[in-house]
Amino acid sequence: MTTAQVTMTTAPETLTKAQKILQGIQEKFGVALISAENPRPDRLFLKVRREEIRPITDYVFNTLKGRMVMSIGTDKTPVDGHYEVSYLYALDAEGIALNLKELVPENDPVVPSVAGIVTYANWNEREVYDLLGVKAEGHPDPRRLVLADDWPDDVFPLRKSVPYNFKPPVRDVKPPMRELTEREKKSTIVNVGPFFPTLEEAASFRLFVEGERIIGADYRGFFAHRGIEKLTDNVLDYNQIPFMAERICGICGFVHSACYCMAVEHAAEAEVPPRAQYIRAVMMELERIHSHLLWLGLAAHYLGFDTVLMQSWRIREPIMWLVEAITGNRKTYGLNLPGGVRRDFTNEHCDKILEVIAKIEKEAGELVAAAAEDHTLKMRLVDVGRLTPEDARLLCCVGPTARASGVNIDARKDFPYCAFPDLKFKPAVQHTNDIWGRLLVRAEETFTSIDLVRQMLARLPEGEIMAPVGNIPPWREGVGVAEAPRGECVHYVETGHDNRPYRWRVRAATYPQLQAVPYMLEGMHVADFPIIVGSIDPCFSCTERLITVDRGNANKLRIYEKKDLLAMSRRRTQELR
Amino acid sequence: MISKIKEALICLRAPRVTFRYPLEPMPAPARFRGRPTIDGAKCIGCGACAAVCPPRLIDIHGEGTTRTVELNFSRCTYCARCQEVCPVGAMQCTTDFETATNDRANYSVKVELAAVACQSCGTPFITQRMQQKLMAEFQPAWMQQRNELPEWLSLCQSCRVEKTGMTMGRNIKNG
Repeated sequence: MTTAQVTMTTAPETLTKAQKILQGIQEKFGVALISAENPRPDRLFLKVRREEIRPITDYVFNTLKGRMVMSIGTDKTPVDGHYEVSYLYALDAEGIALNLKELVPENDPVVPSVAGIVTYANWNEREVYDLLGVKAEGHPDPRRLVLADDWPDDVFPLRKSVPYNFKPPVRDVKPPMRELTEREKKSTIVNVGPFFPTLEEAASFRLFVEGERIIGADYRGFFAHRGIEKLTDNVLDYNQIPFMAERICGICGFVHSACYCMAVEHAAEAEVPPRAQYIRAVMMELERIHSHLLWLGLAAHYLGFDTVLMQSWRIREPIMWLVEAITGNRKTYGLNLPGGVRRDFTNEHCDKILEVIAKIEKEAGELVAAAAEDHTLKMRLVDVGRLTPEDARLLCCVGPTARASGVNIDARKDFPYCAFPDLKFKPAVQHTNDIWGRLLVRAEETFTSIDLVRQMLARLPEGEIMAPVGNIPPWREGVGVAEAPRGECVHYVETGHDNRPYRWRVRAATYPQLQAVPYMLEGMHVADFPIIVGSIDPCFSCTERLITVDRGNANKLRIYEKKDLLAMSRRRTQELR
Repeated sequence: MISKIKEALICLRAPRVTFRYPLEPMPAPARFRGRPTIDGAKCIGCGACAAVCPPRLIDIHGEGTTRTVELNFSRCTYCARCQEVCPVGAMQCTTDFETATNDRANYSVKVELAAVACQSCGTPFITQRMQQKLMAEFQPAWMQQRNELPEWLSLCQSCRVEKTGMTMGRNIKNG
C-alpha cells in the first residue's frame, strides 16, 4: 500500500487525478488534513480535523462536485480510544471514491452536522447517532431513524461493548414524529403503512393531504433493520459474509455479494482472475434484465394494469430458470467468494444464455413498444413524481432515478469494475424528471444489458475462476462499487483480526432514493402515491388501525389500537416459536 | 388503441407457462443446491464443514468413544459450502427441494463415528477414520526420513503441546 505524502512536491503534469485532487484540498485546507492515503488510483482516503469538516464538505460537494455516498461510523475505542466517522464521496467525473474521516474522541462524541450543505447527509448522520452514539451538532431533524422505537436511548449497537445478541426488553414507545408546519397541521393526515401485504415490504408514510393533493410527507422505515453489519463483530468471517450480503436484497442479491467481495479484494490487494470478473459481470447484467422486467410489471400493477404485469413476468421467468441451472438457485446464486466465483460457465451455459436473451430481446421489445404507446399508461406517468436535477443532486440520488432526472452517472462507466472497462455502452439518460423517464431509462437499460451480455460472452476469457485471497492483514480499507438495477450499491470493509472485517458497511441504492420520495410526492394526487413510491423501485404499506365488528351483535364495536395489534402480533410470534 | 391491440396480441400469443407440478414431478437442474446430506460411509468427522457453514448448523460433539457429526438443516441457506470443502465427498447437496415436513426431526442428519483415545492421557480426541486419513497422507513421506510411526498422530492436542515443550526443553538443556 502506498501512502501519499501530505506534502507533495511533484510537478503538476505528472500527477494523477487523485493526487491533483489531494493537492487542491491540501492547498486550501493545509492543517485540517491529518493524513492521506492513495492505495489505488481510484481511491483516496483522507483523515481530516473534525472542526474543519464543514468547509471541506462544502469544497468537496460544491466545488469538486462530489456526490455523498454514505457515512461510515466505526467504533475504534478498543484500538485507539476514538470513534471514526467517515463520509464517502464519489467524484463521478474523475471516477474516484474519496473518503473523509474524522476522529472523534470517546469522551466527546460529537461531530459538526453537514446536513445543511448536503441534504442527503440527513439520514446518514441520524444513522451514525442511532448506531454509534456520535451526535451531529446542528442537525435539522435529529429523530431516531434506524433503531426500533422501543430500543433503549443509551445503547448504541455498533459500539464494540454491546454484544451482537443483546436483546432489550419490549416497551411501548411512540414513533418519532416530525414537527409539522402550520399548513400540514391543518391538512388531513393519511397513514400508509407500516405494512401492505401485496408489496411485501415494510415502510410507513404519513401523507399530509389537502383534498386530493399531497402537500407533504413524513417517512418512518427501517422496520426490517436486522443489524447484519453487527454480525461481523464476532459471528461471520470473510467467506461467510457473501452469503449474508446476498440476502440483503430479494432481487439484486448478487450485486451485494459481488460488491462485498470487491471491497475485500481491494483491501487485500488481491487479483481476481479475468474469467471470474466476466462471470460476475454477466450475472450482474442478467440480474439487471430480470429486475427491470420485474419492475415494469410491478409498476403497471400499481396502476392496475395487470396485463403488463403478467406478460413481463412471463418474459422474465426463463432468466430465473437459466441462472438456476448455472448457479444452483434461482435467486441466491451463492456464486461469490473473495477471490473469485465458485462455479464456472460451461459452453452449453453460454449457448443457453444467448438463446434466452435473444428470446427476451424479442418479447420484451414487443411489450415495451406496445406499452410505450399506451395512452393510459402515459397519462398516469408523464409529469408525475417529478424530481428536479438539482434535488436529485442534493439528495445524491443514483441509478435510474437520477438518470431520469438528467444526472448522467452510472457506476459501470464512472467506476468500471469486473469486465466493464472492456465493454462499450452508453448509459441511458432522460431529461423528463418524471416516472415516464424512469420507465424509459429502465426499458433502454434492459436492452443495453442484453447487448453487454453478448459482448462479454463473445470475449469470455479462459482460465481459473478463483484465486485464493490468503491472509488479509488488519486495518486495510476497501470500497466496492457496483451498479445494481436500482442504482449504485456500495460496500465498505475495514479489515480486522480473526479472519473477519472490523467494520462492514452497506449502502443500497434505495437509501438516497427514499429520501427523495417526499420531494416527488409534493403536489401530486393521493392516487399517484403507489406508483411514485414504486417508481424508485422499492415497496411499502397499510393502515395502523383495524376495526372488527362482532357479527352476532352489530352494536358491539371494538377498535384495535396500535398497542393491541402489537400485543396480538407478539403473542402470535411467541406461539410460532 | 393500436397499443391495446398489440397488448392483446401479446397475451393471445403467449403460450401456457404454468406446470402441472405437483401432479407431475418437476426435477431440479443438475447443479441445483438442495437438501444437504452426509454419507456416513465416507465422513471422517474432520469438521471442515462445521467451520465454513454460514448459519452454523453443523455441530461436532463427542461422548466417550463416539464422535457425532450432527447436521440440522432447518435453517440451511443452501450455499453448498460444506459440499465444496469436504475432503472426502461425504457432504452432498442433493437436488431434492421438497423439504416440507411436520416433524422437525426430519431436518436432522447424524453420523456417529468411533474415536481413538490419546496414547498418553487416554482421552478420545479424533475419529479413527480421521487418524487413518492422516496416516495415509503423512506416513509415506514421514517413513522416508524416519523408521518409527509419527507419534504425534496418536496424541491429543494438549499432550502434543506438552510433549513438544518437553522435547524442546530437553534439547535446550542438552545444548
